[in-house]
Amino acid sequence: MSDIKEKTDGLVSLVIDGQPVQAKEDWTVLETARHHHIHIPTLCYHEAVQANGGCRLCVVEAKEGNWSKIVVSCLYPVKEGLQISTSTAKVNNVRRWILEMLLAECPASKEIRALAEAYGVNSTRFKIDRPTEQCLLCGLCVRVCEEVVGVRAISFGSRGVNKQVTTPYMVPNNACVACGSCVTVCPTGAMQARLNMVRGNVSERTGHGHAH
Amino acid sequence: MNAATNNPITTSNEARIGVVLCECGHKIAPKVDLELLTQELKENTGATLVEIIPFPCLSPGLHEIRRLIAANQINRLVVAGCEPRIMLKKFEKELLDAGLDQGQIDVVNIRDYVASVNDGSPAALAAKGAKLVKSAVAGLEALVLTPKTKVEFNGPVMILGGGIATFAAAQELLRHEVDTIIAVQTEEIEDEIRMLHERYPGERESHDRLMKIMQEVDESPFIKRISVGELEKVLGRVGDYTVTFAAEGDHPPRIYQVGAIIAALDGEMQNQGSDFGHDGVKVLCHTEIEEQIWLHGAPTHRIVFWINDLETARPYAYLSAKTAWNIARHIKEHCVQAQVSILYNNKIKPPLSAAERVKARELKIDWIPYDGEIRPTVQMGYVTYNDPDDQIEREISWDQLVLSPKRYPGLEQIKVAEILGLHVKEGEFLKRNPQMVRPEQVGLDEKFMAGSARQPCDLRETLRQGHRAAQKAVEIAQLAKAGELYAPRMVCTVDRSKCIGCGLCREICDCGGIEPVEGLGGNIPRSVDPMVCTGGGTCAAACPYHALTLQNNSTAQREARVAALAQSLTENECMGFGCNWGGAAAADHAGIKGLKYSDRFYLLPAGCIGQLDPAVIGRAFMEGANGVLLIGCPPEECHHSYGLDHTWSRVLMIKKLLSLVGIDRQRISLAHTDLNNPGQYVKTVESFVSLMDKLGPIRRDDDMKARLKAVYDTLNNARVRWVLGASLRRPWETAYPTDQRNAIAYDVTLSDVLTEEFVRTEIVNFMRDQRKVFELKEIVQSLKEEKQQVLDCLKDLVGEGIITRIFKDRTPYYTLQ
Repeated sequence: MSDIKEKTDGLVSLVIDGQPVQAKEDWTVLETARHHHIHIPTLCYHEAVQANGGCRLCVVEAKEGNWSKIVVSCLYPVKEGLQISTSTAKVNNVRRWILEMLLAECPASKEIRALAEAYGVNSTRFKIDRPTEQCLLCGLCVRVCEEVVGVRAISFGSRGVNKQVTTPYMVPNNACVACGSCVTVCPTGAMQARLNMVRGNVSERTGHGHAH
Repeated sequence: MNAATNNPITTSNEARIGVVLCECGHKIAPKVDLELLTQELKENTGATLVEIIPFPCLSPGLHEIRRLIAANQINRLVVAGCEPRIMLKKFEKELLDAGLDQGQIDVVNIRDYVASVNDGSPAALAAKGAKLVKSAVAGLEALVLTPKTKVEFNGPVMILGGGIATFAAAQELLRHEVDTIIAVQTEEIEDEIRMLHERYPGERESHDRLMKIMQEVDESPFIKRISVGELEKVLGRVGDYTVTFAAEGDHPPRIYQVGAIIAALDGEMQNQGSDFGHDGVKVLCHTEIEEQIWLHGAPTHRIVFWINDLETARPYAYLSAKTAWNIARHIKEHCVQAQVSILYNNKIKPPLSAAERVKARELKIDWIPYDGEIRPTVQMGYVTYNDPDDQIEREISWDQLVLSPKRYPGLEQIKVAEILGLHVKEGEFLKRNPQMVRPEQVGLDEKFMAGSARQPCDLRETLRQGHRAAQKAVEIAQLAKAGELYAPRMVCTVDRSKCIGCGLCREICDCGGIEPVEGLGGNIPRSVDPMVCTGGGTCAAACPYHALTLQNNSTAQREARVAALAQSLTENECMGFGCNWGGAAAADHAGIKGLKYSDRFYLLPAGCIGQLDPAVIGRAFMEGANGVLLIGCPPEECHHSYGLDHTWSRVLMIKKLLSLVGIDRQRISLAHTDLNNPGQYVKTVESFVSLMDKLGPIRRDDDMKARLKAVYDTLNNARVRWVLGASLRRPWETAYPTDQRNAIAYDVTLSDVLTEEFVRTEIVNFMRDQRKVFELKEIVQSLKEEKQQVLDCLKDLVGEGIITRIFKDRTPYYTLQ
């Protein structure tokens, strides 16, 4: 193995959807695929923040030697000799399951419905607890607030089925700088709907004598 | 401050610009013809290279960009992709080791400003994208690279103000072995503890802890204890302060050089007035009962604590209840026969933990709620109150009644805060909200301040604040020691050769970054503390003499940008600026939501709408723009406090000038959009575009060109900028120091000054263009201005020696000197 690495200057060779590609060792499968114009659907992935593999929609089938498994491409690193298939029946089946669960989790989201329809999922067999929910708890808003903006104004509150994106004590947070980055990265309309709860009345926090 | 340049960042000002075009999956590439865009940019810009990369923001793309930068010695980069608000930081972080720092990378959002929102052929969208990218390239060409500013940290940390947080802060500092000077009021630890209840009553439980902290501070070799006179002045900036204390007796004024200042300021307490029956003997306050306990021990009779904060419209009832409980417990623990009750408004909850409730029952301390709707009444020996349960008015008897104190930030504390450069309002506590900008925009997020003068709090909180303030000081001291303390890249700098020290910038600065410098006749504001400046830039846009520059994001860059864009616009197109917190963010969201709007509107982002020097807008009109729309935050929501209102005044001035030129005033407009309301943004843009369609293009003959040039020059005129700057606000604002008393009178004055300066500029420009001798008649005819106005201006110009007047056959002729 080490000989091959030296020969190829730190690059590894793999195959994605039948297309042989080269990649650096620290790249992920998703990044490599996108660089070669191969589309993999994602929801909780954004280029500006660390991937966290939360939504599992980016699953692909990875074949190495004579075994294969389903992996999340946004976290799975490339490897010499790996064979990736991005839309096999197995992969699409996993995605359909995920989308069906998401339809129950955030039934009010247009974006999720459209994506589900594209995979032929039009209804869900799971129980819908909150018919107006748009949030799929992908955590992009939480990560962008921490990693890009650097203020941590929002976070996950409660646990299990009650988990939600919120501010400490569920009151408008003074740490919020009202930049709207969370709204920008939100894959659905969920953050747009709750931004006002997070930022509160901005005019009360600006102006002379307020910000010194 | 010593600026050092030991970093790998290339500081060459010869621009080698790389342009990277993003395909963004299928979001940009098929909609916009990137090949065509590449070709256009290669042919018509000075860009060193133009490349298409599928995803420049992902590891493979970044790898490719690094390779391109190294191969072509690129020192400026434009990425045409998505929102700079989200993505710029990643590029800056990833490409720092490739030699590009903040300011050297620009991200143009062709996805949300072009591809997602406009229907059009890929070629048409490529043409639109090209104009936006070209203007970004022009902006980077005009970038004057400044080296990274290293902030030196000279001297120890000083803790002043005399508050009790001094000791907590000192403890934190000594544990990190940072040299510290503490200015304290008394030398003896016992005295400090003895007098503590004056500001923090009911804190006996913490005395041991405090004593330990004080002893640790006392014995540390890192702490120097000084007793000084009154604080006189503080000059300098983060890392390098000069602190002067007034002369006292035989001592001359003392001057200290320190690296950081922590202000430990304790609020003060006042007795309640006579309307609650306060007499200091039978009816007293927390501090007085504490003093009594110190002198005579715990009382033995019947004592009632009345938590009356809500009755005095003060929101500190919880704190007072906690204090009352502490004192009550002390009394009962030391004197069993005393009877103690605490009477509280049922709008608050008793601040007790479960264990404390048990303790209260054990000690027989009654917590008695009363109906907050009816104010209890004090009689001699009794308080009547309404029982919230059964609504019966009851009485409770007392030998001594203890009321809550009135809390206020002491006068001395306010004085210290003022000397430290905080804007202080009378009677208000010193705590301020954090700046509503991203943390990386400020070197220091808060003034180092601890104590109950910030906001009423108990001793534990004060000590915690002391520790926290010290932690921040430790952090910057350690960073500086390691040589890694840098100021943010986009902050204002003062060119002292241009600055006259007028102080206008200080008056309008919202972040407090403008600092005074010792000069002739006292301190004059003509320097900027880069660790405090947030880069709002409205000060730079207001400076009459262009002495202030927002470095790496300058007015010159914005002018270059608008010039490039305005020149490329066709007759039915218009342009605008959106601020990152309002307009530009809403435009991003319109793109993400896939809303469609006119493809004839071109948006340029700005950090704050107040960053826009009026000359930038003048330049846009001069270079070919037919309409400029400025889209800021909603009114009163400017993140730099006043950028939006300053812009309102600037827009007003430009409107006046446009009327003088004979152009419709609506061609410059200010609009407001909330970032969360992209639909509103679309409406705003559509309305402005249709207004421009109605007005049609500006007819640009030579005459008009000369006049628009005169507008631009007038906007750069120091007197005009002065008159504008002196009243940069909306007439109805009252919060501003010296609010505008007579808006109409000011407006008339501004109009007069504008007219005069505009005509003067026209005359000078006209004479400069055609170097010969003119008669008055000729000038009036050419300029088409009123004869009297021209004559007045000529007289002034002659008086000032700018124009020479010569007489031939008794007729005056004029020529430029």
